[in-house]
Amino acid sequence: MKDKIIKLLKKYTIVLVLIGLICLFGLIKPVFFSWKNFTNILIQQSYVIIAAIGLSFVMISGGMDLSIGYQMSLVGVITTISMMWYNIPIFLCIFIGLVTGIILGLINGLAAVKLKVHPLIITLGTMTIFQGASYIISNSNPIYGLPDSFKFIGQGFVGPIPFCVILAAIVALVASFILNKTYFGRYIYAIGGNEEAAHLAGVNTKRVKLYVFMICGGFVALSAIILVARAGSATSATGPGTEFTCMTAAVLGGISFKGGSGKIWGVITGVLILGVLSTGMQIIGLGTYPQYIAKGIVLLAAVGFDNYQKTARVSKEDKKQLENS
Amino acid sequence: MESILSLKEISKYYPGVIALNEFSIDFKPGEVHALLGENGAGKSTLIKVISGAIEPDAGEIVIEGKSYNKMTPKLSRGVGVEVIYQEFNLIESLSAAENICLGEKYGHFVNHKAMEEKAKEIFDLFKVDINPKDTVETLSSAHRQIVEISKAISKECKILIMDEPSAPLTVNEVDSMFEVIKTLKKKGITIIYISHRLDEIFTISDRVTVMRDGGYVATLETDDTNREELISLMVGRKLKENYPKTRNVQKTEVLRVEQIYGNGDKNISFTLKKGEILGFAGLVGAGRTELARLIYGADKKESGKVYIEEKEVEIKSTTDAINNGIGLIPEDRKNQGCFLEQNIEWNIAFNNIKYLSKATVVNDNKVKLIANEYRDVLQIKTPSILQLVKNLSGGNQQKVVIAKTLATNSKIMIFDEPTRGIDVGAKQEIYELMNELAGKGIGIIMISSDMEELLGMSDRIIVLAEGKITGELKREEFDQAVILKMASNC
Repeated sequence: MKDKIIKLLKKYTIVLVLIGLICLFGLIKPVFFSWKNFTNILIQQSYVIIAAIGLSFVMISGGMDLSIGYQMSLVGVITTISMMWYNIPIFLCIFIGLVTGIILGLINGLAAVKLKVHPLIITLGTMTIFQGASYIISNSNPIYGLPDSFKFIGQGFVGPIPFCVILAAIVALVASFILNKTYFGRYIYAIGGNEEAAHLAGVNTKRVKLYVFMICGGFVALSAIILVARAGSATSATGPGTEFTCMTAAVLGGISFKGGSGKIWGVITGVLILGVLSTGMQIIGLGTYPQYIAKGIVLLAAVGFDNYQKTARVSKEDKKQLENS
Repeated sequence: MESILSLKEISKYYPGVIALNEFSIDFKPGEVHALLGENGAGKSTLIKVISGAIEPDAGEIVIEGKSYNKMTPKLSRGVGVEVIYQEFNLIESLSAAENICLGEKYGHFVNHKAMEEKAKEIFDLFKVDINPKDTVETLSSAHRQIVEISKAISKECKILIMDEPSAPLTVNEVDSMFEVIKTLKKKGITIIYISHRLDEIFTISDRVTVMRDGGYVATLETDDTNREELISLMVGRKLKENYPKTRNVQKTEVLRVEQIYGNGDKNISFTLKKGEILGFAGLVGAGRTELARLIYGADKKESGKVYIEEKEVEIKSTTDAINNGIGLIPEDRKNQGCFLEQNIEWNIAFNNIKYLSKATVVNDNKVKLIANEYRDVLQIKTPSILQLVKNLSGGNQQKVVIAKTLATNSKIMIFDEPTRGIDVGAKQEIYELMNELAGKGIGIIMISSDMEELLGMSDRIIVLAEGKITGELKREEFDQAVILKMASNC
C-alpha cells in the first residue's frame, strides 16, 4: 500500500508541483483563488496547450519542431489577410488557415524524411523560411479590425466556459485518443522508442513521420487562429517565441527529448505550471524578467528531479539483481 | 628464451558456462603468437583477462617475472599491454596526431607541434605516408588501423593484442598491416594475433595456440603445422547430443530466391522447403544478415527475384514482407527487435497491431488475448504481461521478439542469431520451438555463428563468404571442417 502511494506520487509529481504553486500564490494573495483568475489563466494558456500538444506528437516520435512559432505567425497572417483584404467568408478563412498549417507541417516532414537530417536542424531552417514568408505576405503591416464573429473563437463564452478552453479540451481528448487508442498512436511511440525496430516490424516510418508533422502543423494552426482571435489583430510578430514555451512545457510534462514516451496530461500540466507561475508572479508584483528566471529554475528542477529519480531507481534495481544472482 | 607473459591455470566461470578452464599459455618476447578457436572458444575472455577487463576466478598471471592474481585496466596499461579491438576506437573528428597522443600531456597547453612530430616519427617507422594533421574521418580503413596501432605503441607498449584486426580491411590493406606488424616484431614487441582467417595466421605468426571450449588444445610452431591439422584441432570434438532435432522437411517449396544482388551480396540463389530449417554459415561480415535484410525488404536489392509458394512477389518494404508471410527475428534484439520502454503485451501485439484494430482503433481485448496466447506458447517467464520489456532477462526478451514475429502468422521465418547471449535453458526452449514451427510447415532460415547450433538444428546448410555462396551441404554431409574451409573461402 505504501509502495503504491509512493509510486503514484512519483508518477504525478508535476501535478503536485502545479497544486503546490497554486496554493503558494493563493496563500500570498488570496485574490489568486478566484474563478475569474482561473478562467483567465485557462484562456491565456489554451492556445499554448494546443500548440504544445502538436509539438508533443513530433517529440514523441523522436523529432523536434523549432518552426512552430513562425508557423503560427504565417497562419495568423494568411488567415486574417484572406479575411480583411480579400473578404473571404470567415469559416473559409479558418479552413484556409488550418490547411496552411498542415501544409507547413508537410513541408517540415518532407524535408526531414528526404534530407535525412535531424528535424531539429530541418526546422531551424524552415523556421527562418516561414519568418521571411510571413513578413513578405504581411508586408510588415498589422492587420486589425477583425470581425466579432471571428474574435468569438478567442474571446467568446459558451455559458460560463470560454470557447477557446473548450477547443483546447477537445484537442486534448482527440490527441489522447490518437496516441493511446489507435494503432497509429502506437506507431508514433514505436518510432520514437526504437526506429529501426519499428521499421523491421513493418512500419512505414517515413510516412508516419510525415503524418506526425502534419498533425503538429494542424494543431499549431488552430492555436494561431485562437491567438489572433483573442488579440483581435495579427502581425508577423504574433506567435514566435511560442516554440520555446511549448518545448519547456513538454519537457516539464515528461515528454522525453529522445522520443518514445510522454503523455498529453503531462504536457497540459506543464503548460499550466508555466501559466500559473507567470500570472501568480504578476499578481504578487514581480515583473516579466523575474518570471523568466523562475520558469528556468522550475524547468531545471523538474528535469533534474526526474533524472535523479530514474538513476536512483536504476541503481536500486542493480543492487537487487546483484543480490539475487 | 624467457617468456614475457604467462598465464597459469586461469579459470573463469559464468553461470552455466565455463569460459576458461585451467588455461595456461606462454608468450615469448618479440613473437607473433596467434590464437585460434571457434566462436565461444574463450579467446575474448582470455584477452579480457590479460587487459584487466575481467577478473579470473582462479589462476596466476606472470608478467616479466612478476606474479599477479588479476589485472586491472590501469595495471595492464602500466606493464605495457595494449589492445586493438575489431571496431576502431578513434575519435573521427580529431587529427591522426591528436588521436595518437590522446590523454598525454605536454605542458599545460595543447602542443600540436610535439604531437605531430611524435606521430610522424611512428609513421616513418612504419614507412607509411599519413599526414599527422589529417583528421581520422578522411583516412582509409588501413590508415585508421595504422593510427590505432601507432596509438598503442606510442604508450611504451610491450605486448600488443590484436583482435581480428583484418576484419575491416581489404586484401591489400591487410598486406600493409602485416608490414607494420613485422616492424613491431623487430622492435621486440610481442603480438597476440587473433583471427578466423587461417591464411593470415600462416603468413604472419610464429606460433599458434588452439583453444576449444575454454580449454587449451595445443601450441604449435606455425612452420611445423598445416591447415588440416589446425582445423581438426579446432573442431576436435563430437557433436554434443543436446539438440532436440526433428525432421519435418516437406516436398513443397515455400521460398525461392533467384540471383539476388545488393548490400554487398552477389548472385544468391536458393530454395527453402516447407518445414525445413535451412542454416546459413559464414564468418562475421560474410553477408548473411545483409541477405536476410534484402529478402525481408529492409534494404533495397539491386536485382533478383523472390518467389513465395512458386509465385513471384515484389517485396519493396518490410510491410510487404510481413503481408507476404515473411517474419524476421533480427540479430540485435535490443536495438532492432523490441521496444524496451513498452510492456510485453504492447510488444507482442505490435507487428500485428493494424489487424488487431478496427477503423484504426486498437481492440484491447484482442491484444490481450493474442499477447497471453503467445506468452504461453513461448513460456515467457513474467509475473505480469504488463511488465516492461527492459526488465526482462535476455532470454525472455528474445522470446518476446519471437512472439511478436510469430503473431503475424508467418510462412517463412528468418532467425538471425536466435540464441546469441541467452542462457542454456532458454536456448533449448527456442530450439524446441523451431522444431515445432517446422513441424507446422513453416520454412525457417537460421543464421548463426554458433557452429554446433547450426549443425545440430539445420536440415541443410548454405555457406557464405564475402557475399557469395561458397557451398551447400545436406545433413548427411555435415562436417565442421568442410564448413570452416568454405567459410574462409579457401
